[in-house]
Amino acid sequence: MGKEGLRDELLKALSDAVVDMDEDKTGELAQKVLDEGLNAYDAVMNGLAAGMEIVGDLYDKHEYFVPELLLCADALYAGLDILKPHIKPEDLGESAKGQVVIGTVQGDVHDIGKNIIKMMFEVGGFTVHDLGRDVPLEKFVEEQMRTDSEIVALSAMMTTTMMGMKKVVEMIKEKNPNVAIMLGGAPMTKDVSELFGADGYADSAGNAVQEAIKMISRLREMQK
Amino acid sequence: MTEMMPKERIQRFFNREPVDVMPCFSGMGMVTVQAIEQMGIRFAEVHTSAEHMAHSAITTAELFGFDAVVIPYDMCTVPEALGRGVSLYQDSEEILYPTVPSKWATLDEAAIPTDYLSQGRMPVVDEALGIAKSKGDGRFAVGGWVLGPFTMAGQLIELDVLLKGTRRQKEKVENFLSQMTDLVIQVARHYQNLGADYMNIREMGSGTAIISPRVWKMFIQENLQKIFSALKSPRILHICGSTDMIIEMMNECGADALSVDQKNNVAETRKKLGDEVLLLGNFDPYETLVQMDASEVEQVIKTCIDAGVDAVWPGCDIWPDAKKENVETYVRTVRGYGKRPSPEVGRV
Repeated sequence: MGKEGLRDELLKALSDAVVDMDEDKTGELAQKVLDEGLNAYDAVMNGLAAGMEIVGDLYDKHEYFVPELLLCADALYAGLDILKPHIKPEDLGESAKGQVVIGTVQGDVHDIGKNIIKMMFEVGGFTVHDLGRDVPLEKFVEEQMRTDSEIVALSAMMTTTMMGMKKVVEMIKEKNPNVAIMLGGAPMTKDVSELFGADGYADSAGNAVQEAIKMISRLREMQK
Repeated sequence: MTEMMPKERIQRFFNREPVDVMPCFSGMGMVTVQAIEQMGIRFAEVHTSAEHMAHSAITTAELFGFDAVVIPYDMCTVPEALGRGVSLYQDSEEILYPTVPSKWATLDEAAIPTDYLSQGRMPVVDEALGIAKSKGDGRFAVGGWVLGPFTMAGQLIELDVLLKGTRRQKEKVENFLSQMTDLVIQVARHYQNLGADYMNIREMGSGTAIISPRVWKMFIQENLQKIFSALKSPRILHICGSTDMIIEMMNECGADALSVDQKNNVAETRKKLGDEVLLLGNFDPYETLVQMDASEVEQVIKTCIDAGVDAVWPGCDIWPDAKKENVETYVRTVRGYGKRPSPEVGRV
């Protein structure tokens, strides 16, 4: 088999292993990618991330639910951990410099959606500053300014904590209108997200995968 | 015909006997900032004082004409009593409900103490229920709620461990949920013994945006059946989020009424379940009472009634910072448009 054939086969197998929630398999395949001298970034984007995109679709079709999403994420990380140290900066291009501040707002300790989004940004080559959960609002602003991140991603699972997001959006946009803000969480709707002045939103962990991919591509377009 | 007292109205409602008008109440938090401001306290103060908790609930009901007061307010009283701690945000100027700061990292670590009913803020809630009963009794029904076993488990164990466990550690998750079921029964019975007039079991973390109908059947249904058979009526099962795919299974759990939020297609649910089910729902409390213009609220409430609910319930806690005019319109529309019989409850 030629190099191209081997690449296609391994990428497909990586994607399948993510969809099948098979951590051991993604680990083995990621190692094989390196052993065969194939491009690590190509394997991450067109193998692991491609698999996660299928997972997002399966979630939308109600074939997968959050437990499956989490196990697929574990499988993806098993591969990413092996491949990431071998990604060349030139493969990442502009996104090598990309930085994201992410966290769940104060009053909310749910972080599944946040962790899925975090993973997708890591896959996309971004440096992620994860503030964790139950994060005081001003911490997001401080961290954005400290790191000069282009994206701030806020998550709130509870309606009762969603209002905090509005304040963060206002504080950040006031200081730096160019920061892209992404809001996520079950109570989030397009209207609320627009009302709060955000640039993107996701109302479920599954939807977050697609939204993160969209936001990353939008930023790449802007950077061109 | 004389106007019914709120408590009688709700009792008759759950007995499926004719009422004078649709009751206006909920099985979830209904406290508003208008009550908090009138009392001259901060929201953060209501969580640790039985007096403040009971009085803010009663004041809210008086201000807006609700038929019930609902206690407790937050979801952390039981986890706190089980030793998981509590973050109260007492210095925050924001309206924040308490959260659980430290969950068990694995199912193996979980250990339920036996004396938890007397720990943490459990006695505060008991006292608040007592005050609400004595000060509001007759004028208002007193509603109580407890999280369902799966949602309670999610407050105690890291949620990803629990969710992944439904596929990878089935037996351990089943055992833990069985313990949670006994716990929920004990707490709910305790509140019933203290005089709660109706009991809402909020299994809010189990909608199909999170777990599949198959997992719901496997891990949730039987436990809820056990809970509802152990509690006296009236008992309500509330699940928020996506419930269209599990509504028939919810109806097999033995509750007297089902409560759903705005993500449920109530007209379809009514068709699926028939008229002999008490259905509660299903407006988005944040959108309707906080965001919307007051002039739009009437239509939202009418839409719920037209879709076939027996009483208009918010899909979750009323966000305390609701607009006064919006809440007034909500209550006024329930009373006005709710004069005609609902599918399961007639009018005198």
